[in-house]
Amino acid sequence: MTTWPRRRPGVVGPQLKLKLRKALAHICLISIITLVLIPFVMVAIASLRKGQFPPSALLVKPDQLSLEHWQFVLGIPCRELVNPATGETRVIQASPSPLLWLWNSVLVSGCSSLGIILLSGTAAYAFARMRFKFRGSILRALLILQMFPAVLCLIAYYVLLDYMGQHFRLIGLNTIPGLIAIYLAGISVNIWMIKGYFDTVPASMEESARIDGASQFQTFVRILLPMSAPIFAVVFILSFIYAMSEYPVASVVLQTSDTWTLAVGANSFLYEQEKLWGTFSALAVLGGLPITIVFLLCQKFVVSGMTSGAVKE
Amino acid sequence: MSLRPFLVVLVVLPALYLDFLAYESGSTWVALGLLIIIGLGAYVYLDNRLEAYRYLFPGLIGFGLFVIFPLLYTVGVSLTRYSSSHLLPYERALSLFQQETFSNGGSVYNYKLLLQPDAGFLLYLEEDKNSARRFISEPFELSAKPSGPGEAPVKVSVFAEGATPPGQPLALAQITRQKLYLPLRNRHFLLPDGTLIALEGLQKFTARQRLWKINADGSLTNLQDGSMVRPDFKQGCFVNQKGERVGVGFRAFSGFENYAQIITDPRIQGPFLKIFLWTILFSALSVAGGLAIGMFLAVLLEWKELRFRNVYRTLLILPYAVPSVLSILIFKGLFNQEFGAVNEFLRALHLFAPDWETDPWGSRGMILLVNLWLGYPYMMLVCTGMLKSVPSAIYEASAVDGSNPLKDFFRLTLPLVFPPLAPLLVASFAFNFNNFTLIYLLTAGGPRMVGGGIAGETDLLVTYTFNLAFRDSGTNYGLASAIATLLFFIVGTLAWLNLRLSARKVTA
Repeated sequence: MTTWPRRRPGVVGPQLKLKLRKALAHICLISIITLVLIPFVMVAIASLRKGQFPPSALLVKPDQLSLEHWQFVLGIPCRELVNPATGETRVIQASPSPLLWLWNSVLVSGCSSLGIILLSGTAAYAFARMRFKFRGSILRALLILQMFPAVLCLIAYYVLLDYMGQHFRLIGLNTIPGLIAIYLAGISVNIWMIKGYFDTVPASMEESARIDGASQFQTFVRILLPMSAPIFAVVFILSFIYAMSEYPVASVVLQTSDTWTLAVGANSFLYEQEKLWGTFSALAVLGGLPITIVFLLCQKFVVSGMTSGAVKE
Repeated sequence: MSLRPFLVVLVVLPALYLDFLAYESGSTWVALGLLIIIGLGAYVYLDNRLEAYRYLFPGLIGFGLFVIFPLLYTVGVSLTRYSSSHLLPYERALSLFQQETFSNGGSVYNYKLLLQPDAGFLLYLEEDKNSARRFISEPFELSAKPSGPGEAPVKVSVFAEGATPPGQPLALAQITRQKLYLPLRNRHFLLPDGTLIALEGLQKFTARQRLWKINADGSLTNLQDGSMVRPDFKQGCFVNQKGERVGVGFRAFSGFENYAQIITDPRIQGPFLKIFLWTILFSALSVAGGLAIGMFLAVLLEWKELRFRNVYRTLLILPYAVPSVLSILIFKGLFNQEFGAVNEFLRALHLFAPDWETDPWGSRGMILLVNLWLGYPYMMLVCTGMLKSVPSAIYEASAVDGSNPLKDFFRLTLPLVFPPLAPLLVASFAFNFNNFTLIYLLTAGGPRMVGGGIAGETDLLVTYTFNLAFRDSGTNYGLASAIATLLFFIVGTLAWLNLRLSARKVTA
């Protein structure tokens, strides 16, 4: 805290004014951050609290602490009290283990993000370095058509996956590759972002390599790609987070609990009749923490990519 | 010698085989489409003049399949009558009629159902009046699932005299206990002389005849009572001479009927308008609020003399880093009306505790609060980027004039920063316009709108459309697709505006 200097009341010097302003700024920031952090703390507490309580407490008594939700979420068999009067217990084990959902989510997000990089990277290269018919129109059409919310295409996705599944068991309804295929379509924003980055890389090196006899594909893979690693990291992380958080499409495509992703599985603990808040909280911490940490570690990358790659032609 | 032709052949051959499989299975149009794509692909990768398209091809095919096709399909569905009462295509609805039979008073047969070792069944038949006429069916299965329409009758052949039928005969009690008579009743059996027979009651099989005769003009004649039924392709159902509906409805082209319904049908028009207004209000407030908080924080964090800036920034980004599905569900718990942390806190302070779940404006307020929490970090990140590009020299000039930070911000910073922000704000507006996940997981559109059918007070157009298509028994794909198409035009216009705004930025 700033100490109050002895001065005549009513007159505030510029030095003090600055200090006051700084104190005000700190108070402002700290109170906002408190509001941001409280929900996370509450979830962590709820996941460690005995019984199915919604995240609402910042402190619990030590005798209320228990690892039952964590055991359940990690697929470890644990005892549950059935009848408090007689002390009767039974062994419960999650089936399928929620860890499977986390794995499914990572699989879906990883594969779709890699695929998106592959598809949008090559397309962005053509848009950035080549001149061809309909270049501008295709670029614009990509962006406008992608605005159609995926949720509203669900009827069509359903029909499409159902049809593909009849011929090809692998890419059908209720399969993870089917979901990945749908996510792969979200390339247009990424094409714009990568193209924006390619545009900032001077083409002179590629041109001199072409003169030395390298093919177009070689200059792309050997020269431009290594120089553009940061933007690919950004696209990967953003697509990964998108796929991790996507709920509506996943909930319609994936029908049985062994194919669910984390988002669908987490929501399944909160039925209308019985809300298993404790279990949900443990799963939320388990699934949310790694992504959050990765995001914060790559923060600089992501932020610079997001602002520099803003849509421009 | 280039490797490329070999690679092309390596991909094209399996693709052609797949195409052939699709053709074999009877989907001619799909096979044709696939063939065109394969041809196009081979052409693009073999012709040297089309080098640029080689890089575009995979992306554009994926985009076409999963963005453009669903879009066109949705627009197509919006022009049809397609709902829970008009679910089947015309051919399937017709085949349901073709399956109907009636007992024509012919021969009666006793039967034995024979369980086979592989869990399949055989049917053994003996004519009631002439037990020398014996038949045995092909093996068939009895699943609890109702047999689909158009299932072919099971063929039955003459059974040699003296031989014992294979398998274990089931007693009547077993047939009734296991409810085997239900799927059995749906099966038809075809005798060698072409007579159809089916189970009547529990004990006997009787000769049956197709109930409907299909006439050359497409109408159907009921052979039992002579009445006539014809398909009405405008209404999407079969009608009899009196104009009454008969049997199941089918999908039918209806033109702009669904669109007209949005404008004229009071049951849809009322909720639609209300939801439309709330959607705009929600998106506008979310963007404005997010921008205000984000900009404020960005400006604070750009203040070079402030300590701990990096720590603050990292903590402030948190809501953006956590998967939003999880944070939305967490807030659902925090805002619980009775036990939620928010109301407990407000009650402890003896303040008014709003009804976040049952009051329309209470739940709208909750949604906006949660969305501010979720949305400000993005605005903060974007604003930070923009502020960094503002040259610091302009502030020095104004400092000489004795300005203050607030004046500086509104007179100098904002006019410089706003134009490049504009397209991002439009994009953010469009995103919130379709913010399905937030509404669906937080309130599911609730509380219900009085007299609005399945519409809820906090529904956005997307969630309303989703509910129309997928929730409850009254699913109406046609109407849902019509609203989806309208939504696309609204959002498409926003996207176009976004492009125009950013184009101006480049030329400026």
